[in-house]
Amino acid sequence: MKRPPRLHWVSILLGLLVLISVVSFHAHTAIRPEPVQHAREHRELPERTLALAFHGGPDPKWTPRLLTALREINVKATFFVIGTQVTRNPEVTRRIADEGHQIAIDGFRAEGDHGDALNLAFAQAALADALGVHTRLVGAPVEVDSGDRDHQDIGTLVRMSLQHGRGVVRLHDDGSIGADIARELARAPGYRFVTVTDDRPVEATATQRFTGAVTTWSQRNGGIVLMLLGTAIAIAALLGLLRTLMQLGLAHTDRRLRREAAQSPPPWITPPVSVIIPAYNEALNIAATVRSIAANNHCADVEVIVVDDGSTDGTGDRAEELGLPGVTVLRQANQGKPAALNTGIRKAKHDVLVLLDGDTIFEPDTIGELVQPFADEQVGAVSGNAKVGNRTGLLGRWQHLEYCAGSNLDRQILHALRCIPTVPGAVGAFRKSALTDVGGISDHTLAEDTDLTMAVTRAGWRVAYRQQAKAWTEAPSTVPGLFRQRYRWSYGTFQSMWKHRGALLENGPMGRFGLIYLLAFHLLLPLLAPLMDLYVVYGFLVADAPLGFVVWTVFLLLQTASAGYALRLDGESLKPLWAYPLQQIVYRQLMYAVVIQSLITALHGTQLRWMKVRRTGLLADAPGGTVHVT
Amino acid sequence: MQVFVDAVGSRRVVARLVSLTVASGLIGFAAVVGGTLLEVW
Repeated sequence: MKRPPRLHWVSILLGLLVLISVVSFHAHTAIRPEPVQHAREHRELPERTLALAFHGGPDPKWTPRLLTALREINVKATFFVIGTQVTRNPEVTRRIADEGHQIAIDGFRAEGDHGDALNLAFAQAALADALGVHTRLVGAPVEVDSGDRDHQDIGTLVRMSLQHGRGVVRLHDDGSIGADIARELARAPGYRFVTVTDDRPVEATATQRFTGAVTTWSQRNGGIVLMLLGTAIAIAALLGLLRTLMQLGLAHTDRRLRREAAQSPPPWITPPVSVIIPAYNEALNIAATVRSIAANNHCADVEVIVVDDGSTDGTGDRAEELGLPGVTVLRQANQGKPAALNTGIRKAKHDVLVLLDGDTIFEPDTIGELVQPFADEQVGAVSGNAKVGNRTGLLGRWQHLEYCAGSNLDRQILHALRCIPTVPGAVGAFRKSALTDVGGISDHTLAEDTDLTMAVTRAGWRVAYRQQAKAWTEAPSTVPGLFRQRYRWSYGTFQSMWKHRGALLENGPMGRFGLIYLLAFHLLLPLLAPLMDLYVVYGFLVADAPLGFVVWTVFLLLQTASAGYALRLDGESLKPLWAYPLQQIVYRQLMYAVVIQSLITALHGTQLRWMKVRRTGLLADAPGGTVHVT
Repeated sequence: MQVFVDAVGSRRVVARLVSLTVASGLIGFAAVVGGTLLEVW
């Protein structure tokens, strides 16, 4: 197998980091903290010398008026600018510099907001973008307070400014009074005006200017990014809600129809059945699987064909050693599951074929239940109810919940819509004529069960779901094993969807509902849903916006209720439901990762093969695994 | 032949090139911006 592509994970993680940084930075710039004055060193100026230090700007309205006044009185001042204001008013900032005034930094979002060095870095970046410079002068020295924040009377303000007869005078350029005080101070006899220091700005490097452009863009456009993110989240939320409502509504309808049908049930049919078990290195489970089939209570001939697809662990021998009547073991060189199934289909002598994996346990009545929908001549395939056998541990419980609340509930919806896309490899039955119609099992995809089911539906056959036909399957017990299994399923489903894309233009239910359902809920939703998680984290940690968390919690409650309903429909205990909220962490993200990885692999055109799940042989503990042949 | 599989290999080469360009672009971007801010910090 070629190594699947992985570099995209670096891009995805970095892309998400950039995205969250942009919106977080935007949120950071929107907060205006209280102005603070830091205790700075004293700047000694000669007698009757003033340095006018303007704070709070640049302001789009008042700073230009002040600049005009300063030009008229021929005074050079020092502007302690605020970074976010520089980004909002770059033209005004440039005019300050162009007219020969000194530029200094007072903070990033408010006066004195440079105590945190990161805010100082942001303020320098804003200057680098607006002026192409950094400044060494950060924060004003000890100042003479002009009182312009507290008083309006110009005489008082002038008196306060001149109280020491020299020094750095603290003024503001974000209001009308700054220009008036400057004019009055200029009239004071015998005073000369200087800038706070003689430092000149330092030319910013190319990377500093680039960083400035990035922070400026983020401050200006973070809102748009947030809106796009919100739109994606809204689509994801709507899809999720729609799916839950469909699941509940249609599953309920399906349940009601079944109940009505049960009141006047059709005659019980007992056609002879050929059971085909393709197996590759299933030595740990094959004996339990074959025994469970042999212990069936179906009232007709049941032929069992085990196709050992070149196993190296003695799978075929284990099946043969059982010495059960009616069990045939065929051996072939390893050719893959579709070829093994086709071999079994060719050798099968009956017209109804039950296909199952070598790691599946049937209950005694599973075969009898599974074939009942064939009473309808239009039914070409029947899906059984696959259940997780090894439910111990969190991973097992999660998969059990997913099988019930996800797959089986989905299957009930799609049964109602008559477009079940997958008769699972673990438990399914087919009419031989339906398989002949579609040319047998194809090896065009890694999800041969989905490919086959879609083909059978497109060929005009109905696909039914028999909830009572239960089969117990061994679910992966490790996270890497689960990832491999789901990767194959997901990639195979995408392959099947693409292969059968023509169904969209056909009149059948597969194109009308099936493909659109898969597209919306198995591709689009998993791709958008991670953004919701990201937004919840962002809202909670950065933006102090708990709305995302509230929506997420409501969503979780809805889904938990839906999962509880699914468990009830399946006759299962509600006990494992406690693990459902925990599923939202790790497990759900793993499923997203599977979809993304599948999509990227499809774009790369990499060939994948049948990925084997490591077996534990613990399946004999499953409810069907304890049956014995008498 | 499986669906999606690129028999010729050209699509794989293009996809890898795109992947490499995007990843290295993002790494460069993050390094420049992060590095500059950290430097001032």
